[in-house]
Amino acid sequence: MNIQNVNHLVHAYKIAPWRIQRQWIGTALLAVVALAMVATLYLDVTSQAAIAGREIQDLTVSIAIGQQVSADLQTQLASLTSASVMEQRALDLGFRPMESAEAEYLVVPGYFEPEPEILSSTPLPQLSALTIPPEYNESLLDWVDEKIASSARGRQ
Amino acid sequence: MRQQYARRTQLVMLVISLISLAIIMQIVRIQNSPEAAIFDERALDYQYEWRTFYPDRGEIYDRSGHLLAGNKSVYEIGVDLNMVKDANAIAGAVSVELGMDYSEVLDTIQNPPDGLSYIVIADFVELQKALRLKDLKVKLQEDAEEGTLGGLTGLEFKSHPQRSYPENSLGSNIIGFVNREGRGYFGIEEKYDTLLAGNPVQVLVPTDPNKASEIARVPDGTTLVLTINRDLQAASEKILDDSLAKYGALSGTIVIMDPRNGELLSMASTPRMDLNQFWEYGTVFDNASDYNRAISMPYEPGSVIKILTMAAALDSGTVTPGTTYLDTGSILVGGAMIQNWDQAPWGVQDMTGCLQHSLNVCMATLSTSMGAGTFYNYMDKFGLGHLTGVDLAGEAAGRLKIPGDSDWYAVDLGTNSFGQGVAATPVQIMMAASAIANDGRTVTPHALYAMVRGGRQYNVPAQFAGSPITEQTANTLSEMLAVSLETEGSLALVPGYRVAGKTGTAQIPVNGFYDDTATNASFIGWGPVDDPQFMIYVWLERPEESIWGSETAAPVFAEIAEKTIILLDIPPDTIRLQLAAK
Repeated sequence: MNIQNVNHLVHAYKIAPWRIQRQWIGTALLAVVALAMVATLYLDVTSQAAIAGREIQDLTVSIAIGQQVSADLQTQLASLTSASVMEQRALDLGFRPMESAEAEYLVVPGYFEPEPEILSSTPLPQLSALTIPPEYNESLLDWVDEKIASSARGRQ
Repeated sequence: MRQQYARRTQLVMLVISLISLAIIMQIVRIQNSPEAAIFDERALDYQYEWRTFYPDRGEIYDRSGHLLAGNKSVYEIGVDLNMVKDANAIAGAVSVELGMDYSEVLDTIQNPPDGLSYIVIADFVELQKALRLKDLKVKLQEDAEEGTLGGLTGLEFKSHPQRSYPENSLGSNIIGFVNREGRGYFGIEEKYDTLLAGNPVQVLVPTDPNKASEIARVPDGTTLVLTINRDLQAASEKILDDSLAKYGALSGTIVIMDPRNGELLSMASTPRMDLNQFWEYGTVFDNASDYNRAISMPYEPGSVIKILTMAAALDSGTVTPGTTYLDTGSILVGGAMIQNWDQAPWGVQDMTGCLQHSLNVCMATLSTSMGAGTFYNYMDKFGLGHLTGVDLAGEAAGRLKIPGDSDWYAVDLGTNSFGQGVAATPVQIMMAASAIANDGRTVTPHALYAMVRGGRQYNVPAQFAGSPITEQTANTLSEMLAVSLETEGSLALVPGYRVAGKTGTAQIPVNGFYDDTATNASFIGWGPVDDPQFMIYVWLERPEESIWGSETAAPVFAEIAEKTIILLDIPPDTIRLQLAAK
């Protein structure tokens, strides 16, 4: 087989109609697969975002309920340790109010007069929804909308 | 063969393409149809919903962290009319648990106002009662046949916070109360109503889970920490109540303040009310000014004002502690005769004797010697006739007539000097006297120690209102007052502690004339004299056991001062001075 015959065969292979059809079909399939992948990803991300959003809604409700329960318990505790209740308990246990003459004052090194209660310290920084970049919470459609809107604004 | 196969393939592809194109066109058509616009519009209604948030009203604590005002859950119980299965069952359960009228409830459910799908049966229902009803609803649902609804289906429960006061009536005159609409009345609750807030707020909330980040966060109200010491407040109220019974007084007030910074440590006043039953306000109090007499009820305080007159005389250089005068028992001022409390002459007296024997003639002599301009200038600088700015709602300014006022007469220069014809509240006099106990500087009384918001605590600094007298005058007068109590052997003396103070016995003006049979008994004092850590004001209205402040208010001062010393851990003077020397 000489070189001319080889070239002829290669040329015949390149222009074979079934081969061109396969190329078209392959390209179309590739596009379909790509679209399907994007759609799947989009569906997955969107559903995950929806689930996360629903969890946030549930947790928000849980936090509110928890805070309410906490406030209830705090108030109940305060009632159980109110001045009148504590005084009565002390009397029931056999204690009595001290007279000033009965007080003995001792020097305790390092003792400091109690200061009024400090109820809170500097809090830890909290994540705010406003600090989350849009890339993390916008959908594909939101992103496309935003791009179209921004390009429209740019033209104006 | 191959060509035929290719044509068929092309035909199938064409058909599929046409069908796909038709589907896409149909999608586009539907998306842009007028019906789609209607659906879009309807969908917008479901994207957001109005929801009522009940942010917690800020709590109120005493200086040691004891809760004075908090929040508890109560329930709104209503009926979803579209879900009702058995109206009789609901009416029966509600009437039994909540003590409501069965037929009324039934009528409300069966004949609701037009257009309503939800009606409120009861609100502010206590947690336990609501939970019993809830449990009953669940039990009936469990007992119902599978696939059917329980008898209480349609009964709905919505919890929301309500103000609660664990200490009941303790400190009620300082704290004030909140009504069911969330509005604060009196005291701290009214003064800081905006800060404490916690009113229901209607907010648009996205129902789309993808917009969860847009859920509104309604912040809770600011929490307040008061300067009040709960145990001292309890002791003050107990001693006050006991004193009213012991001396047969109509009402009374005891205020304890730190004269160094104006922090109110306790403020007891009668009558008091259980703040959890605020609707009883009308039956407990006749007037709003009765709610907290310490700030709202000016009265003629009598001789306690003499410390201010003496301060003015010393500071202006009119007299010195050693200055003497001849007390003849009376003096003519503005054409009117002013006499001592016993209508007797006391002979030669120095200024300490003046205070010790509480001589009206001496005080009138001082005020006339100073002249109206100087005297009233000092009284003005002491804050008489002005609001102190205490951070409690309902403060009254009192009244100090001055030359130029239509109702001021020359005799007022004499009578005002010993506390007649001038009206002041206990807290006003304490603010004025703080200058004497605090090296010449007056402090603004206040009940707020700190605010807590967003996890941060902001402390409220002491505010000084002015320096009406010099440090030297203040210390000199403090010493004179301590000596006068010691020389007199006053019932106000506290063993182991040196205190300074002054009694006041004032006749009560009734219809323009002084009532001879009733007095206001007062005492103002502070200690320890060399380092004042507490200032106490006692006011007993119309004591029957004795009309004299020295026999009623003074021993009450001693009693509450002893309690204060114990609760504030103030060692006796000897130990304290030894420690200071080290």
